[in-house]
Amino acid sequence: MTPRRSKRTRTKGMVWLMLVIGALFVFRLFWLQVVQHDYYQNEAQKEQVARFTIPAKRGQIYARDGSSGIVPLVLNEAVYTVYADPQVVVDKTKVVDLMQRVAGGNLVGGFPAALDNRQSRYAVLARQLNKTQAELIKQADLQGVGVQEGTKRVYPEGSLGAQLLGFVDADGRGQYGVEGALDSQLRGVPGLLKAVTDVRRIPLSIGKGDINVPAKDGQNLVLNVDRNIQARAEQALKDGLARSKATHGSVLIMDPYSGRILAMASSPSYNPDKYYQVKDYSLFQNRVVSEPYEAGSVVKTLTMGVGLDKGVIEPGTVYNNTGSVRVADFTIKNATPDSIGPTTMIDVLHYSLNTGAVFVLQQLGGGSINDQAKQTLYDYFTKRYRLGQNTGIEQQGEAPGVVIPPTDPQGGAVRYANMTFGQGMDVTMIQVASAFSAAINGGTYYKPQLVGGILLPDGSVQDQPPTVLASNVISPTASAKLQDMVAAARHNGFLAFTDPPGYRIGGKTGTSQIIDPKTGKYTNDNSIGTYLGFGGGAKPRYVIMVRVKDSKLPGYAGTVAAAPIFADISNWLLQYLRIPPNS
Amino acid sequence: MWGLRQVVATEGLSTRYGKALLRRHRPDYQLILYAGILLAIGLIVLYAISPARVELMNLAGSKLNQAYFMQKQLLYLLIGIGAFIAAVWLPLKTWTRLAVPVLLVGLGLSLLLAVFGLFKVPLALEAGGAVRWFNLGIISFQPAEILKFGLLLYVAVFLGDRIANKTVNSFSETMLPLGMLLGLTMLFIVVLQKDMGTGIGLIGIVLTMLYVAGMSFRNFLLTISMLLGIGLLLVATSPHRVERVMTFFKPSAASDTAAGYHIAQAKIAIGSGGLIGKGLGQSVQAFGYLPEAVNDSIFAIMGEKFGFVGLVVILAVFFALLLRLIKLIDQTANPVWRLIVAGTFGWIATHTVVNIGAMIGIFPLTGITLPFLSFGGTSLLFIMLALGITFHISRYASHGLANTINSGQGGGQPYAGFGGGRRLRRARHASGGGYQRA
Repeated sequence: MTPRRSKRTRTKGMVWLMLVIGALFVFRLFWLQVVQHDYYQNEAQKEQVARFTIPAKRGQIYARDGSSGIVPLVLNEAVYTVYADPQVVVDKTKVVDLMQRVAGGNLVGGFPAALDNRQSRYAVLARQLNKTQAELIKQADLQGVGVQEGTKRVYPEGSLGAQLLGFVDADGRGQYGVEGALDSQLRGVPGLLKAVTDVRRIPLSIGKGDINVPAKDGQNLVLNVDRNIQARAEQALKDGLARSKATHGSVLIMDPYSGRILAMASSPSYNPDKYYQVKDYSLFQNRVVSEPYEAGSVVKTLTMGVGLDKGVIEPGTVYNNTGSVRVADFTIKNATPDSIGPTTMIDVLHYSLNTGAVFVLQQLGGGSINDQAKQTLYDYFTKRYRLGQNTGIEQQGEAPGVVIPPTDPQGGAVRYANMTFGQGMDVTMIQVASAFSAAINGGTYYKPQLVGGILLPDGSVQDQPPTVLASNVISPTASAKLQDMVAAARHNGFLAFTDPPGYRIGGKTGTSQIIDPKTGKYTNDNSIGTYLGFGGGAKPRYVIMVRVKDSKLPGYAGTVAAAPIFADISNWLLQYLRIPPNS
Repeated sequence: MWGLRQVVATEGLSTRYGKALLRRHRPDYQLILYAGILLAIGLIVLYAISPARVELMNLAGSKLNQAYFMQKQLLYLLIGIGAFIAAVWLPLKTWTRLAVPVLLVGLGLSLLLAVFGLFKVPLALEAGGAVRWFNLGIISFQPAEILKFGLLLYVAVFLGDRIANKTVNSFSETMLPLGMLLGLTMLFIVVLQKDMGTGIGLIGIVLTMLYVAGMSFRNFLLTISMLLGIGLLLVATSPHRVERVMTFFKPSAASDTAAGYHIAQAKIAIGSGGLIGKGLGQSVQAFGYLPEAVNDSIFAIMGEKFGFVGLVVILAVFFALLLRLIKLIDQTANPVWRLIVAGTFGWIATHTVVNIGAMIGIFPLTGITLPFLSFGGTSLLFIMLALGITFHISRYASHGLANTINSGQGGGQPYAGFGGGRRLRRARHASGGGYQRA
């Protein structure tokens, strides 16, 4: 019997079905993988490739500590921000409990309410947590809660040097002071990592077009500022301001032979750790460099320097002091009725005689305040002493001030006569002190420098040499004479009584009147008292400039308010710098 | 060889068919070749992506070694090969005898699982809101696969009987009891276990068998329409199925849903593979982007690794195997055996087509494994068992006779280009001769 099958096996239909499906699949695959490959490759890239910024470590800032060694003023510290994804958080009570238990004072106000906002994917719960707190939160491993590491600046010396240091804002930008001026140097260059990642954004090693540029950390700066001098200067300033009930004041200490800034401070100051709590932004300003003012009689030293360099006066040159001098239609008077009659240039500084300073200007013009006199003074002040322009010190917000040229309608004889004793022009303390340093150090203008070196990764310090901006600002002979005059001026007065014997201390007071906004005239109220001087052995070791605003003490602010701060610091510095007497 | 016992060639069929026709001969080794290629590729791909999966799982608290998935799959494969050898070793009659018990065990275990799931017995493993596995400590076990195998055997025997009685198209004899059985299994699999993928697999098996058994086109279309109706009902009653279907019809609008994400990631994997692929170790989508990378989505991962060329090769192997099975259906005289081959074909074909179709975005996503390639023990075990039985049946294929009958006949070569050396012609039985004469 022939074998029989049940009707037809119908498999032909199945074969055709398979062939059709197979063809469909191949066509579809061709469409996806060949025709649309670029599109899907692009989609894959968008999804799989992530760009990571590798943060650069911000440079730290150090101060000198005596003759050797450095101490940190600004360091970085790891801090942690706790955030949550409200859409992912499961147990809100648990999250709130944990945060209140661990984060305490670091909590962000109203964070439990933020957790309820299910529209949001990101809510910050607490900021600035330390490592221990962060670990506790990580260990709790609550769903929807994450910890992000960041850094913050910490200040081991508290508010020491706050205004010269500046701070780093929440966006990581340096603001004010060194942080602001040298932001890019401190910041470094962030690295870039472009890589194929897994779904959790962790880079994989299989990508072909990966980019990996390592971060370049910022430089660690070593300031010329001496931690101890700075601390002492700040204390002396604070004490002095308290004595005179002044509103604020500033102090600047520098090495006249290098331009190195040893201390620089203003009071009141602020705590850089809590900069965001400061309401009065003027506290951020380093007034030593940012606030031009009429420096007053301390400028007479510079005027004397011009006269000496030009050879029109000698320290012993005598002029007839009548107590006032007529310039154009204006009478310039001395502040005190001292030394009427024949008077030496030394006494001009000693008694701070405005008429003597005007006498020097007249001598520059051959006896009268003419264009030549004005032009000479202007050239010395602006081109040699560099007044009225930025010194380039590493501070954000340095202001140039104004010295009006003789060609200006405002630059008449009266103004120039006033300028000889520091009125009628706006200059900063850093300008005056740097110019004064050049005038007494033999005539070399050093750029005032805060940064003295860079701390290298191996722990050594790469020193930054002083920068000479001009030499022969005044001749060495004129400079030596001026140094003697300034020393004699102080020595002859009662201010020298507190100076320890065997040292050479020189200085000049200045009390500038402020124009009363109501009357438009200079008044003796709300004065600014300044003291500018040097100290050391045969050779000056330091220049100190002190400024006190709104002293409430009777008498000239320069003498009664600023000078004692100078003496306080100066006497201490002689000890601290171990300068032997009679050297 | 396989050390096969000499089986009595007639195997209880001598009453209906001549002994000479059914002498045991060389089996169809191409079945082993194609399955072997697929299993080897699957193992290599699992080896390549195992570390990526293991890393993610270890992050979630597991402690697995890097090659976990490959090692586990190797173990499953050894068990599967054991099942295959057993199927070749055991007399074919064993399976017709075991049909009812296996079906009952499958139904019983499914019922037990549902009860366990209801009372939260720890043995029942819950995942994603569905209870599909028994957890037996080191190994988990999916009773749906036993049920699938049991149904394959039982329906083969059942329809074999109806063919003999010529009642394949009888409503009361065939349609009703089969409909009730299918309804019951669907209740367990699709409704209780929420496993649409396995349900579709089951329907694919039964439909193929009905078709091959000779059900009239009218009844066949009626059955399909009925199943479509039930399918729509099932989709409509389940939100996540609605979502999947909506995703399929409006892919862009729904891409933020789980199914939309899955499909989008699968297409990115396949599309970014390009013409020749990124290379074996270069899959990025396996690193957590593509869900079910080792299971249902393995085809997409292969697309990323091997590209268009690689996928066409894999498709070619699959379709070669499937066409080989169709050929075997034609060559198998015994209706029960033929139906077992047809069911095995339906099983592999449905899984392959539905899985790949979803991955390349032309069918909705259903969560169905890709035979031989997807990671998974139970499904591999029973596919290997079914393929083993089919391989065994191929020893009794009647190609010798077909060649004789069809020699000289020019037309009717539907497998030209597919069949290899031993061509098979359609009209090789008695009526063929008559046709020739006409």
